[in-house]
Amino acid sequence: MKIKDVLQPFTAWKNLVKEPITIGEPHKREGAPRYRGFHQNSMDKCIGCGTCEDICQNAAIDMVPVEGQETTHSDSGLRPKIDYGRCCWCALCVDICTTGSLTMSNEFKWVEVDPDAFRFIPGADKKPWDDIEAGYDRADHYELHNFEREDMVELAPEVRDHSFVEIVQGYSKTQAQKEADRCVECGICVATCPAHMGIPDYIRAIREDDIELGLKILYETNPLPEVCGRICTHNCEAVCSMKYRGDAISIRWLKRYIADQVALSDYKGILNQNTIENNGKKVAVIGSGPAGLSAAYYLALLGYGVKIFEAFPESGGMMRYGIPEYRLPYDQIDKDVDYILSLGVEIEYNTRVGKDITLETLQKEYDAIFAGTGLHIGRKLPEKFLPGSDHEHVFAAADLLREVTMGQEIHVPKKVAVIGGGNVAMDISRTIARLQKVKYGKVQLTTTALETEEIMPADREEIVESREEGIVIMPGWGPVKVETKEGKITGLHLRECISVFDETGRFGPKFNEDNTTFVEADMIVESIGQGMDISYTESLGDKLEMGERGKVKTDGYYQSSLPWLFIGGDIVQGPDVIHGIANGHLAAKGIDKFIRGEKS
Amino acid sequence: MKATLERLKGFFGASDEVIQRDDLVFLTVDKENLVSALTYLKNEAGFKHLVMMSVADWLEEGKFQFTYHVNSHELKKDIALRVFINRDNEDMYTIHTLWPTAMVYERENREMFGINFPGCPRVEENFVLEGWEEMPPNRRDFDTKEYSDKTFFPRDGRTTNDPREYMKEKLYSEEEK
Repeated sequence: MKIKDVLQPFTAWKNLVKEPITIGEPHKREGAPRYRGFHQNSMDKCIGCGTCEDICQNAAIDMVPVEGQETTHSDSGLRPKIDYGRCCWCALCVDICTTGSLTMSNEFKWVEVDPDAFRFIPGADKKPWDDIEAGYDRADHYELHNFEREDMVELAPEVRDHSFVEIVQGYSKTQAQKEADRCVECGICVATCPAHMGIPDYIRAIREDDIELGLKILYETNPLPEVCGRICTHNCEAVCSMKYRGDAISIRWLKRYIADQVALSDYKGILNQNTIENNGKKVAVIGSGPAGLSAAYYLALLGYGVKIFEAFPESGGMMRYGIPEYRLPYDQIDKDVDYILSLGVEIEYNTRVGKDITLETLQKEYDAIFAGTGLHIGRKLPEKFLPGSDHEHVFAAADLLREVTMGQEIHVPKKVAVIGGGNVAMDISRTIARLQKVKYGKVQLTTTALETEEIMPADREEIVESREEGIVIMPGWGPVKVETKEGKITGLHLRECISVFDETGRFGPKFNEDNTTFVEADMIVESIGQGMDISYTESLGDKLEMGERGKVKTDGYYQSSLPWLFIGGDIVQGPDVIHGIANGHLAAKGIDKFIRGEKS
Repeated sequence: MKATLERLKGFFGASDEVIQRDDLVFLTVDKENLVSALTYLKNEAGFKHLVMMSVADWLEEGKFQFTYHVNSHELKKDIALRVFINRDNEDMYTIHTLWPTAMVYERENREMFGINFPGCPRVEENFVLEGWEEMPPNRRDFDTKEYSDKTFFPRDGRTTNDPREYMKEKLYSEEEK
């Protein structure tokens, strides 16, 4: 061994006194401005839709409950927890985030002794990078979502304003699939839908062009898809996770698309309902509105002999006698109803229970009764609240709508004023406007609402379309007095309404008496709500317990205090079609339990 | 540069010219012309440097796309040749004889896309995926998520919730009571 070989290693010792050339920790080297670093999540913006979890190719994200995040109808209350042992920082979760709450900072250094600390909930577990502005930023042209709703073809105002032909034309297959493709299938909408329809499932069926499967999914929770596909209040769309950065999915029109594609004659085969075994029990249903029809459908499937007693000459209740034909054509109601009747459900028209047949008779002849008689009595302000309202040309909207459906000629003068800001007010306004257009060639109709435009209960599209048809809408005005001259109505005095609800949220309008106006009119229509007529229960007396706000008391199955009597629809909930369908369905389950002795 | 491009188009049948930048042109050639075109570029036109070679999977079109990116240091220009082959015939000529470094690219692409490069040395050896038994993971029909779910989840301490089911539990599980 040479002496050099022995001494050589010690030459490295000279480096001990040298300045190191490496950078010590902590160093201050920032990530690039658009670096895909550690995640941030805004707890308030995030709705817990779980789309980040779905897209993550590494299965790095779990959706977990977080303290302080409540589950509501538009927020699951869950938040993403990311496993940094799996994450590859591809940023797909940020790109797909429906609300834009999930982002990435440009921070990239995190030292921890406990390996489990790298599983964390961004936003909830406070981190030093939570407020860093710099970080991943999607390039402008790069977007995974399509935020724009597929346009619906609708009849132009000049084509529709003098006819009752359906306005909305429905989606084509290409359109429906394109619209369905926008859905992220998060399922946030399901809780909000009163019937809890399998919305993401039937949208997927459209995307995969499996219309038969789509129809089956619809009928699991809703036997009136043609109706709901047209006029449902679509609360689902109000919570759709796509609404935050773009348009909500057109859930209602997609439902209609499915039902429109299938001929009535094919329903039985598709739904596999060719034979239903009769169980020998009988149920009477009062009223063929959405609740009654829904109860009848699900009872019939369970094998019950169902007979509906309908006061009017045709089926559908408010769907036919309340909603105008341009929104819901009668043949579409018929399609849904005919299918239910084809399962053996009988219907006796022009038979008003309480008058043509008594509840007692039904109780004796049937094992249970479901009553869904709806709200058919149009409310009117009494003379003391609205002087002049006793005049024969002051009408209630519900009465006029019913008469139009029945083919009766209603009073249509040149100038009309409508009181009310809800959808029924829009329905009667647009109905009368059409009749005016036919009779006089022009529309002269003013609709006044207590509410300001932002909080008017009518659907936005109803307000827009009403205006397109020549109706003047005056939001924020309350009626004072109906002016008459020589026995004829000349107009309606109005005063400014400054607030509709009081501090507790109850109805208690306040007015500015100094700001008044006058609308010329030969006829006034009041659309201020509808009331129920349950006089057929009078003979039950106190045995039928009443609940809050003048409604009949029912349990979760819509069973009243009389075990054989189930009550649903607008008289207990809503008012709208989908609540009726939902509680008709639940009542059917309840009736089945009651008759089989599983429920007292 | 102009003469080189003309030659590529005329003699080697290159087409679909895309002038990406002043100093970068993309051209598409047939598989059969690739090796001779690259030989020409390297030995005659001065494009001596292989910048990189890459593969893309066009699942819907049923094609694999190869891109051979070469550079001329003198001209300060880049040319990239694209080749499309049918996805069901995953054989490609090796170019390791032109650039020995191509061997590494080819070995990687064999592993990630399952493409054969007959004649390339050591091409059968593992590149990064030791013990891999699934389909080549860069193929678009490889379901990364399914693989992740199967391989990495559930892991101790990890649980997740479906928003739809969770909301049902929280908001309306009591409805039928």
